[in-house]
Amino acid sequence: MKTLPSMPTANLDQPRVLVTLDDRHWLLPQTEAYSLESLLDIDSDVQSTHSLGALALAGQWWPVYSLSGELALSATLPESRRLCLLLDNGADRFGLAADRVEMLKSAPTPFPLPACMAMPGSPVQALVQLETGLGYVTDTERLAAWLTAQMEDADNAEV
Amino acid sequence: MLRSEPGVRESRAWRLTLGEGVQAAVSERELVHLVETPALLTVPTCPYFCQWVLVWHERLLPTIDLAAWLQGAPMVNGDRTLAGIVAYQSAPDAMPDYGALLLTKIPERLRVTDDLACALPEHPSGWRELAWSCFRQGEAALPILDLPHLFSGGLLNC
Repeated sequence: MKTLPSMPTANLDQPRVLVTLDDRHWLLPQTEAYSLESLLDIDSDVQSTHSLGALALAGQWWPVYSLSGELALSATLPESRRLCLLLDNGADRFGLAADRVEMLKSAPTPFPLPACMAMPGSPVQALVQLETGLGYVTDTERLAAWLTAQMEDADNAEV
Repeated sequence: MLRSEPGVRESRAWRLTLGEGVQAAVSERELVHLVETPALLTVPTCPYFCQWVLVWHERLLPTIDLAAWLQGAPMVNGDRTLAGIVAYQSAPDAMPDYGALLLTKIPERLRVTDDLACALPEHPSGWRELAWSCFRQGEAALPILDLPHLFSGGLLNC
């Protein structure tokens, strides 16, 4: 794994969308959740490397990726995935296959990730206690950097 | 700090059993609580020796497995039935921060005097990263853990 540069500090208190992947809960900024789409609309013939395919929306192709609950990149779609969340922060634009996506009515207090847990390149910014368990706060920029690193690792493993 | 004999400073400490044959110490004031069968919550993408948090007094405490770090790999058959909650100050006069260390035995209280100071054990080799001092207890050398270093990310680049 390459060491990635540290990300700028983001506002942890902004409204979040809760994305469930397997039994893990990831929280992303609501402002970066562009739309929810059906997995059936993914065109698997339009593939960028390591994606499941791409979705056509707003005149653009959005590559869609499958990540496990622990954010391992997968070439296949787990059975529990039901929909596709399109993420857009103005610089990064992609889709993520998810089990569930919910808008959080109230934002739980985030705890910044302790320094001893903060691996370089980790997309986890902070942690929140949810009724359903622990939630991991991240954003589209961090997820995009994580995906890039995962894809590079996969490419290097194939060589 | 206590005084046992004139000129000999005496302190109290806790002996922590971090794993099979792996022991260290913290000062009496640094160990603040013991949690039996801790409910550890896993955080993905974190280092193998610190991939959990423990809920304690409405805080999420990072939980370190120092025995795993010393062996350089996750413990396969770890029997971590205890977590010691430790308090430390990242700077003089700073408010205390808290963290947790995985343990395999109930800590033992010890009396330590300055004349027991000794060199850190050579094996495993990682003790220099974990401890700032060491003292002799019977046949064993007990490293004194540098808690601010451990919990401020000092092990991530080793």
